[in-house]
Amino acid sequence: MPPQDPQPELALLARMKQGDEPAFVALYRRHKDAVYRLALLYCGSQQQAADVTQDTFIHFIGKPGQYDPARGSLASWLGGIARNLARKAAGEREIATDPERFGDDAAPFEEHIERDTPLEHLMRSETAELVRRALTGVAPHYRDVLILCELSELSYADAAQVCGIDIGTVRSRLSRARAQLARRLAALGAGTTAAQEAS
Amino acid sequence: MTHDIRLLEPGEDTLLDLKLDELRRDLAAHEPPGAMEAILARRFRDSRNGASRPRLWWMPPLALAATIAVVSWIARMPVHAPVAAESPAAAEADAGPFLAIKPLERIALEPGRTIVRTTEFPRALLADWGLPVPPERAAEPVRAELLTTVDGEPLAVRLLN
Repeated sequence: MPPQDPQPELALLARMKQGDEPAFVALYRRHKDAVYRLALLYCGSQQQAADVTQDTFIHFIGKPGQYDPARGSLASWLGGIARNLARKAAGEREIATDPERFGDDAAPFEEHIERDTPLEHLMRSETAELVRRALTGVAPHYRDVLILCELSELSYADAAQVCGIDIGTVRSRLSRARAQLARRLAALGAGTTAAQEAS
Repeated sequence: MTHDIRLLEPGEDTLLDLKLDELRRDLAAHEPPGAMEAILARRFRDSRNGASRPRLWWMPPLALAATIAVVSWIARMPVHAPVAAESPAAAEADAGPFLAIKPLERIALEPGRTIVRTTEFPRALLADWGLPVPPERAAEPVRAELLTTVDGEPLAVRLLN
């Protein structure tokens, strides 16, 4: 996502802090879809995603001063709140784990692949559904960067801020995450590996 | 478990991007419920109304401090005894004797209707009432309490210095 001039958004934020309702509504309209889709990817349920989105903006209403423009964009700050709430809503099954404990092809989260989530009913596209299922099987620390960088289109810097890691780690995790996702897709029959395409 | 990963070849990368594009397109069709905006706007309005209401948290401590200050001031305030300069009771309380300057019968006609007042007059005036006055001090003022009628007629005198 190309960097945007933050000034108009900061001006809206300043007006919102002074009680300007239209300014809040404008900010909500700017970020609601991204927050909702991020929550949907983490929760897998429209209802939970709606709840998470609402709670994220309620937090924003109550504590707009917590957002520090020097530390990142408003989108990444809201994304971080939504991510935390969504992980909590998902029963904390996505509690951050030590990446060193898991190999890339180890499948400690395999049980999640078949977990019956309402998102299965949301995805109209078969391919999209396959990717979603494959994504569910990716280790959480890799899935984080896939969701944030690939599907929510946050910058590496913003994703690093959301996850609390440095940009270099985001890059390396993203490469590994893509490889793991490709293997999961191949295992589900939607091949992306060269070998599978050749066959 | 292995930490050895084989990263994707360029072709595999492209294929994966195509798959991810499918998911992105599908996600783009999802939006939060339309009613959420009104709910949040109302929440925003309520929170602002709450914030703009005057906060009276400081009232109880201020009231307590004011009460303590007033009570403390009253407790420290010196108690002034009522000035009894013109009170007959004050004259009775004083042990010093009054010297009658009118016949006792005359004084007896005014029971309960006399006044004691502090005054200052030339010492020579004492001679008029039959009291001794040294000639060398005749010009000096003298402070005295006078027992008078309510009309101001002197009945008795008590020298104060």
